Amino acid sequence: MRTRAASAAGAALALLLLAACTENKGEGPSVDVNRQSTGVIATDPAQSRGPAAEVAGAAKGGTFHILRQSAISHLDPQRIYSFVGLMTAPLYSRFLTTWKDDGKGHLTLVGDLAETPGTDVNKDCKTWEFKIKDGVKYEDGSAITAKDIAYGISRAFSPDYSGGPTYVQEWLADSPQFDKAWDFKANKGSFPPGLTAPDDKTLRFTFAKGHCDLPFAVSLPYTAPVPQAKDTGLGLDTQPFSSGPYKVTKNTVGTEIVLERNTNWDPATDPVRHQYPDRFVWTFGADPDAQANRIIADSGDDQTALGWGGVPASLVGTTINNASLKSRSILSPTPSANRLTINTLRVTDVNIRRALNYAIDRDGLIKSLGGDTVAAPMTTLMPSSTLGFVNYDAYPAGPSGNVEKAKELLAGKTPELVLGVLDTDAETGAQLEANLEKAGFKITVKLIPADAKLDETSKKNNPWDLYIDSWAADWPSGASILPVLFDGRTIKDAGNNNRSYLNDDKINVEFDRVLAMDPAAQGPEWAKLDKKLMEDDAPAVPLYVDVAYYLHGSKAGGIFVSSIFGYPSFVDAHVKS
Amino acid sequence: MALPAEVDLNPAPPPAEPAAPVAPEVAGRSPSRLAWARLKKDRVAVVSAAVIVLMLVIALGAPLIEWAYGIGPYDDFKARLDRFGMPLGYAGGIDGDHWFGVEPHLGRDIFIRLVYGMRTSLLIATAAATLTSVIGVLVGLAAGFLGRWVDAILGWVMDFALAMPFMVFALAVVPTVALRFYGPRDDIPPLFRGVVLVGIFAVFGWTGTARLVRGQVISLREREFIEAARAAGAGLGHMLFKQLLPNLWAPILISFSLALPSYVTAEAALSFLDVGMVEPVPDFGRMINKSINYLQSDPAYVFFPGITIFVMVLAFNLFGDALRDALDPRSSR
Repeated sequence: MRTRAASAAGAALALLLLAACTENKGEGPSVDVNRQSTGVIATDPAQSRGPAAEVAGAAKGGTFHILRQSAISHLDPQRIYSFVGLMTAPLYSRFLTTWKDDGKGHLTLVGDLAETPGTDVNKDCKTWEFKIKDGVKYEDGSAITAKDIAYGISRAFSPDYSGGPTYVQEWLADSPQFDKAWDFKANKGSFPPGLTAPDDKTLRFTFAKGHCDLPFAVSLPYTAPVPQAKDTGLGLDTQPFSSGPYKVTKNTVGTEIVLERNTNWDPATDPVRHQYPDRFVWTFGADPDAQANRIIADSGDDQTALGWGGVPASLVGTTINNASLKSRSILSPTPSANRLTINTLRVTDVNIRRALNYAIDRDGLIKSLGGDTVAAPMTTLMPSSTLGFVNYDAYPAGPSGNVEKAKELLAGKTPELVLGVLDTDAETGAQLEANLEKAGFKITVKLIPADAKLDETSKKNNPWDLYIDSWAADWPSGASILPVLFDGRTIKDAGNNNRSYLNDDKINVEFDRVLAMDPAAQGPEWAKLDKKLMEDDAPAVPLYVDVAYYLHGSKAGGIFVSSIFGYPSFVDAHVKS
Repeated sequence: MALPAEVDLNPAPPPAEPAAPVAPEVAGRSPSRLAWARLKKDRVAVVSAAVIVLMLVIALGAPLIEWAYGIGPYDDFKARLDRFGMPLGYAGGIDGDHWFGVEPHLGRDIFIRLVYGMRTSLLIATAAATLTSVIGVLVGLAAGFLGRWVDAILGWVMDFALAMPFMVFALAVVPTVALRFYGPRDDIPPLFRGVVLVGIFAVFGWTGTARLVRGQVISLREREFIEAARAAGAGLGHMLFKQLLPNLWAPILISFSLALPSYVTAEAALSFLDVGMVEPVPDFGRMINKSINYLQSDPAYVFFPGITIFVMVLAFNLFGDALRDALDPRSSR
C-alpha cells in the first residue's frame, strides 16, 4: 500500500516537473481573422438543386458522436433558437431556404425546400412567392407540401410553442404582439393573415410593409414543414417528424439522442446536406474539460467524436502546440461580435466616447480572456463575416490602445464611469478597469448577476455607463445588425436591443434608406453606415469576435465552423475508415 | 467548523492547588510556566510557531515586501504572456523578476499577489477568531455561572445559531448587505466586504467557544475557591473575571488557535464561491479556485498558492494541538 502511494505521488511529481520544465517560447498556429466573406443569393435554380458536391475523402457508414455538457433545450423546429439547436436541426429538418457554406466565409443562399430563394413578385418586397421542389418527402415517405410549411409557420404563432425566432410572425402580423394579432389555437387549420398556400407547390407571403430580408429570415428552422396530422404538440420537442437526411430514433431526454438515416430523404433534392454516417449520437453530461481530455485521449467511440464545448482556455496551453492534435483541431473566427456598449444617455459627451475608443487595449483584453483561441480583435461594429464588410479603424490606436491620445481628448477631465460586468466575468472587469484608468478615466466595476444582466441593461434607465454586449446576427446582413442595435426609434422602457440608447436622426433616416434597397445591393451601404456611426457617434467600443477552437477524434471528418452561426456544422460530417 | 471536543479539555488545576513538587529545586512553578516549558520542548510546536510568526510577518509587512520586490499586486505583465495568454518561459514564467511566475491570461505577479492574499486571509481570520472568542467567552461565562433562566435563554440562542446553515446564510446575506449600504453606481470598498465577512463568521462562530466555556464554568462553580469568594461577598464581575476566567485560559486559547485556521479555510471557501473578496483584491480562495483549471497546462500556478495555504493551515492546526498538549498533560498523546 505504502509503495503504491509513494509511486503514485512520485508519478504526480514527475508529471508536474515535466510540465514545469518545458519552456514556453510562445509559438503556435494563428487564426485567419481578416478573411473576407462573400455572400450571394442564388439566382439560378440549378444552384438550389441537389445533390450536394461530395466531400473529398468522405465514406459512408459509422457512428458520429457529439459530446455536450447539457441537453439540447428544444428539438421542435418551431422552437429552436439556441446555437446547438440551429446546428442540429438541419440533420432532421429542411427549411424554405438554406445557406451553402464552405466554412471559410463563402456563402450562397439557396432554396432548400423551395426551388429558388424566393421571388419578390412586385419588386417592393411586400409579396414573396416560393415554389416547392418535386420529390421532397418526410420520413414516412409522404410528400412535403406548401401547406405543411405554412402550418409550421402558423405553429410558431402559438405561445405554447415559443422560443424560436419571431421575424416572419412579426412581419406577417405587422406587430411585435403577433400572438394577439392571430390566435393559433382558435384558427387551427387556417393560416395567419398574409400567408397563403394556393396549391401544394406554392407558398405566398404578403406583408403590409416591405421586408427585403425575407429570403434570409426563412432560412431559420421555424420554416420546417409539419403535417397537421403529425403535429403531436409538445411531443414534437422530443420526437420531431423528420424531413431531413436523419430521423430521431431514440431520445433519452437529458442523456442521449440517436439520429439514424431517413431512407426517404432524396439527395437529388438537397443542395447542402449529406448522409454519410449511419447514425449521429449526442451524449450529454461531460463538461468541456472532460470532453477535451477524452478527445485528446482518442480512444474507442471518442475517435469519431466532437467535443461541443471546444477547448477551455485553461487547457489551450497543453493542446495548441501538440503536433499530434494539429490535424484534429479546428480554429476559426465566428460572426459573434462583442462590444463595450456605451450608454449614451449617461455618457453624453462624444469626446469621452471617442477617448474610450482610443484607450482600449484589445490585445491585453484578449489575453485576459484566453488569447487567440478565444477572441480576435475588431474595430468595426459589424463582424468581418457580414456581407459587403469593409474593414476600418475610426480611432487608430494600435493593438494595445493609445492612452496619450485618449488623455488629449479628455483634456484633463477624469470622467467617472461605472462599468457593469457579469459576476462570472469579474476578471474582465479588473482588466478593463486597469486599462481605462491608465488613460485617465475613473472606473467603478459593478458585478451584475449573470442571469439578470441582459434584462437589467435592456432597461432604458439602467444605472451603468458601460457594459459588454455581444451580438450574433441570424443572417450575415447589416440589416440584422445595425438597425437592430442602433435605431433610436425602437427604444422602449425595457427589453431594448439598442442598449447604447443612441437616437441620432441622421442615422435613423439612413437606416430607412438602406433597408428599402435590394438586399443584394445593401452590403456596401451598411459598411459605410457602420463607419459613419463610429465616427459621428461612437456609441460603443468594438472589442473582439469570438474564435471557435474545437478538437475532434482522429476518425471524425467533415466538421467545419458555420460561417453564419460560428458553431460546428454537421452537413458534411463523416466517419473515416 | 469543527467544535473542539469538550471531553478532551479539562481545565488546568486551579492555582489554589499547586503542582506537587517533584524535586526541591523545581518547587513553586506555576501551571502556566510548566506549560511553557512543555511547549518549548515540543519540536512540532516550535517549528509550527516559527512558521506562523513568519507568515504573520509576511502578511503585516506586505507593503514593505512590495517596495523591496518592486512589483505591486495590481501590476500586469501582458508582455510575459504568449498569444494564448499562457506565461512565457519555464514553469509558469518563473525568473528573477517573477519568483513564482505570472498568472496566465491576466499576467499579474503570483508572488506579490500571494503575499497580499495572505494578508487578506490572515486579517479576516484573526479578526473573526478574536471576535468569536470574545463573544463566546462572555456568553459562556454568563450562561454557565448564572444558570437558570439566563442559561436556558442563551442555550436557545446557541441552538438557533447552530441550526442556521452557514453557507446558505452567507450566500444570501453578502450581496444583500452590499445593496443595503451602497447604491447601484457606488464602489463597494474591500474593507466593507471584509467587515461583512467577519460579521458573518462572528454570528455563526461564537457558539463553539460559548458551549465550551459554559461547560467548564459549570464544573468550576461548585468548587471551594468559588464558594470562598462567594462567602467573602465578591460581586458578579469579580466572580466572573477574577475567579473564573483565569482558570479558563487554557481551553479558550486552544479553541482560538484551532478556530483561526478554520476561518482561513472558510474565507477561502467563500471567495471560492464568489461571495468573499472579489477581483481585483488579492485573495487566497479565489486564487486557488481559478488556478485549479490550470492543473494540466500551468501546474506552477496551482502549486504555489496551494502549498502556501496548506502550510499555513497545517502550521496553525499543529500549533493548536501542541498548545493543548502543553496546557493539559493529561490529555492523551
